Amino acid sequence: MITLLKETLSRQSIYMPTPARIAAMTPLTASETLFRVELPSGFHLHHRPGQFVELSVLGVGEAPISICSAPTRSNGSFELCVRAVGKLTNAVHKLPPGAKVGIRGPFGRSFPVERFYGRDILFVAGGLGLAPLRSLIDEVMDHRGMFDRVILLVGARTPRDLLFPDDLARWTARDDIEVHITVERPTEEWVSNVGVITTLFNKIDYQGRNMVATVVGPPVMYKFVLPDLLAHGLADSDIWMSFERQMKCGVGKCGHCQMHHIYTCQSGPIFSYQEVKNLQEAFA
Amino acid sequence: MSLRIMPKSALKAWIQRLQQRSFRIVGPKALHGRYVFADITDPDELAIDYPTTLSAPKQFLLPPREVLFSFNADTMDMTAHIEAEPTVLFGVHTCDMHAIQLLDTVQNNGFADQHYRARRDALYLVSIECLKPCSAQCFCKDMETYSITETYDVHLADMGDAYAVRVGSDKGEELLAGFTNIWEGADSDQQRLNEVMSQKWQNFEFRLDATLSQLPEVLGAAMHSAHWDELGDICLACGACTQVCPTCYCFDVTDEVDLTLTHGVRLRAWDSCQIEKFAVVAGNHNFRSQLGRRQRHRFMRKGKYQYEAYGKMGCVGCGRCGTTCPVAITCIKTFNHLTQESAERQAAVEVKA
Amino acid sequence: MTTRPRPKVAFFDFTSCEGCQLTVVDLLQDHPELLDAVEIVEFREAMSEKLPLDERYTIAFVEGSCTRASDEARLKSIRERADFLIALGACADLGGVNTIRNVMPLQEVREYVYGDKADWYETYPARPIKAVVKVDAAIPGCPIDRNEFAKAVTHLLQGRLPNLPDYPLCIECKALGTVCMYQRGQACLGPVTRAGCGAICPAVGYGCEGCRGFVPSPNLASMREVMREAGVGDEEIESRLRIFLTYQMMKLEGVTS
Ligand SMILES: Cc1cc2nc3c(=O)[nH]c(=O)nc-3n(C[C@H](O)[C@H](O)[C@H](O)COP(=O)(O)OP(=O)(O)OC[C@H]3O[C@@H](n4cnc5c(N)ncnc54)[C@H](O)[C@@H]3O)c2cc1C
Ligand code: SF4
Ligand code: SF4
Ligand code: SF4
Ligand code: SF4
Ligand code: SF4
Ligand code: FES
Repeated sequence: MITLLKETLSRQSIYMPTPARIAAMTPLTASETLFRVELPSGFHLHHRPGQFVELSVLGVGEAPISICSAPTRSNGSFELCVRAVGKLTNAVHKLPPGAKVGIRGPFGRSFPVERFYGRDILFVAGGLGLAPLRSLIDEVMDHRGMFDRVILLVGARTPRDLLFPDDLARWTARDDIEVHITVERPTEEWVSNVGVITTLFNKIDYQGRNMVATVVGPPVMYKFVLPDLLAHGLADSDIWMSFERQMKCGVGKCGHCQMHHIYTCQSGPIFSYQEVKNLQEAFA
Repeated sequence: MSLRIMPKSALKAWIQRLQQRSFRIVGPKALHGRYVFADITDPDELAIDYPTTLSAPKQFLLPPREVLFSFNADTMDMTAHIEAEPTVLFGVHTCDMHAIQLLDTVQNNGFADQHYRARRDALYLVSIECLKPCSAQCFCKDMETYSITETYDVHLADMGDAYAVRVGSDKGEELLAGFTNIWEGADSDQQRLNEVMSQKWQNFEFRLDATLSQLPEVLGAAMHSAHWDELGDICLACGACTQVCPTCYCFDVTDEVDLTLTHGVRLRAWDSCQIEKFAVVAGNHNFRSQLGRRQRHRFMRKGKYQYEAYGKMGCVGCGRCGTTCPVAITCIKTFNHLTQESAERQAAVEVKA
Repeated sequence: MTTRPRPKVAFFDFTSCEGCQLTVVDLLQDHPELLDAVEIVEFREAMSEKLPLDERYTIAFVEGSCTRASDEARLKSIRERADFLIALGACADLGGVNTIRNVMPLQEVREYVYGDKADWYETYPARPIKAVVKVDAAIPGCPIDRNEFAKAVTHLLQGRLPNLPDYPLCIECKALGTVCMYQRGQACLGPVTRAGCGAICPAVGYGCEGCRGFVPSPNLASMREVMREAGVGDEEIESRLRIFLTYQMMKLEGVTS
């Protein structure tokens, strides 16, 4: 098996993707679809949770997309959850199943999973943030014995925007993970929590716990979630986030993802709060 | 490195010889009373005594628009375009040599860029000593870029009727191979060169109020300065400053296809952090919507960020951005204004204490 | 090559010089493959046929600005029949040169143009077509750039809206290595004008007149100051900003015509 990164690096150009196949497409919401991407035989993605790939449709463009399947569940093929917002992301939605796409990567820094061993893990997922976290959640659940308590908080705008309903049901059915879901604007059938994601924080018992938090959501979410987590006594170095920046290369060259002296595509997208708290542009 | 001497009159013959050896020759050339780097077909066009060019020579390493690879969208066949032809870049000033050193560092860092690498390997650098400041905007003495880097292939210094020639690499030897109108310098030549150089240092003045080593700190303290918005008020966001800068390398990537939608290319083109959409992400969140923030990012990159990321300053003091800016935003004025603010803050703290 | 359905494309003109449509005709000479990619169903410059009234246009390109109240009904009916409505060129996109007159009292303009027959002609302040109907995208320029038109067509064929540059002209101009007009003692609207034409005017020694329209957030106060410093008088500055940009200027500065 050849790792995709090795293949990416051995191509004549670091910008030239490896062809891959869309093996399956599952619509999740009106604008988000789950893609199962199959690499050519003999290739293995070999990623870590939190990393991303550059996804191409030749003739349209390229975009960074988080790998949303866990390493334990990405044998030969892996999953991407894509929200249609622009040219590339709309184009992949219009592809027929079986179509060819291009993949480069995996790039970026992952969640330091080994540092979470033996501790409580709190997952905080806002909107599309559940996609990168899903990779980590399953990685944790597939090595469940390595961790203490596992808690998942999920926030969405409406029940219709909730991603991965099957996975949420799968996790909720287990008794070794605590799942809380909230929506900002409920429908009539909605029977669960209503409110922004921070309203779920008081459901958790933090007392005397050795907890790490992993938080992924839109840029505005961090502004509200971070103060709450800090107030509950989490250490700066125990809060981990994924940062979204415009990325045109993924390999530290195009300058778009720069946040102070840091190239998010190289040193990120995963950062601890400790690492970025003094960077004015981090939460701008 | 031993010193060699080439009579000035031999320069033309040397260039012709290189042309016969199929080297592409690029150098400074006059255009509308200014100077630009361009192809030299007739050696008489080479204006090696030029003050400075409008744009940096980076275009020969990172072209403004470059095909990365071509493809067939139906079959997914792809062909990388790694294009490089042996090119001699004549008359590169020392500040630009420092800039190329930074580009080398960035492009070879981590995932090395093969397109750059190929061009760089095929590029022969013939640099030349500046004996006096090139413009009212330059501040190479402050940035310590008015002496040569280690990366030259051949370095020239004007000694009146002859060039003092130093060869810095095998590539340099390759350029001079078989050329006979050049000879080993004598002790007296070395002495003459020493005189020229000691004259040179006196011709340059410091133009910044902060020293090179203070600059990152001055900028770090200026994160919340009101000056950024003052610059933002007048800035046109035209991006001219970054386009002409020898150390700006940010790019955009786009695809182009023919009308059959089958054959196409992925290409990159120079981009600018001054443009509104540079830092926009999905959901239209813009990390630098205000012009002042974009100015701050540019100057921080120049005097702080690049130094922190790569150990080399992102500004080499060439002054081009200041010369080109339609609203006269310059590095010298900006850095000095911030240094002044920093001194005032310091003084205020001392008064309180 | 996979075969794709050929979209039905139509061209229409309102008040304009037809230069943009001629650019398309020109492009067809060099790129006959365009006719393999699309089916041209109406194009006054090149054919007399018309699409049956019960059929829809996939893409309707509209050249020219609205200058009469009666233009509106025709434009609206085109809009109703079109999946994509694309403004073709400065007149349709910006109102273009037709809007110069908007800053003058209308009766004066009519008398100037039509003399004592002024009252025979119907006219109202010129406006871009987006002032009348929803426009999906625009191909800017006076005239349009043929390569950019071809590029826009490839995007439409891919089923997406054209993605054309809206960054400032200076980006393109500098990439070409042109000596800036300001350094040659002349004024140029490049810093506030969107790129895409290849900065052709400065390349041949003329300051840009802004025919492609403003960038998304033009700093007009600063642009005026720059021209003033370059020795351009206030009146001249305003008239420069009103060759192609009158309508956009009035919108930006809150003046209604
Ligand atoms: C590390 C990382 C992981 C990501 N993971 C996912 C994921 O798992 N799923 C997912 O759907 N999206 C993800 N994104 C966001 C995704 O990359 C963007 O939505 C995508 O680049 C937009 O490309 P486009 O061609 O479709 O849109 P464009 O046509 O380029 O633009 C459409 C919209 O996106 C903005 N935009 C433009 N360029 C970019 C850019 N490079 N990045 C972000 N926004 C841009 C525009 O301003 C506009 O609002 C991730 C981004 C990063 C940086
Ligand atoms: S920032 Fe300005 S002075 Fe510094 S290297 Fe770039 S162009 Fe030259
Ligand atoms: S800035 Fe200094 S080194 Fe650079 S061209 Fe001018 S004088 Fe020479
Ligand atoms: S050249 Fe001047 S006006 Fe243009 S973006 Fe740079 S600082 Fe702003
Ligand atoms: S000539 Fe015009 S477009 Fe070109 S750089 Fe100067 S101002 Fe910008
Ligand atoms: S340079 Fe300006 S006026 Fe000339 S074609 Fe381009 S946008 Fe139009
Ligand atoms: S994405 Fe290009 S430098 Fe990070």
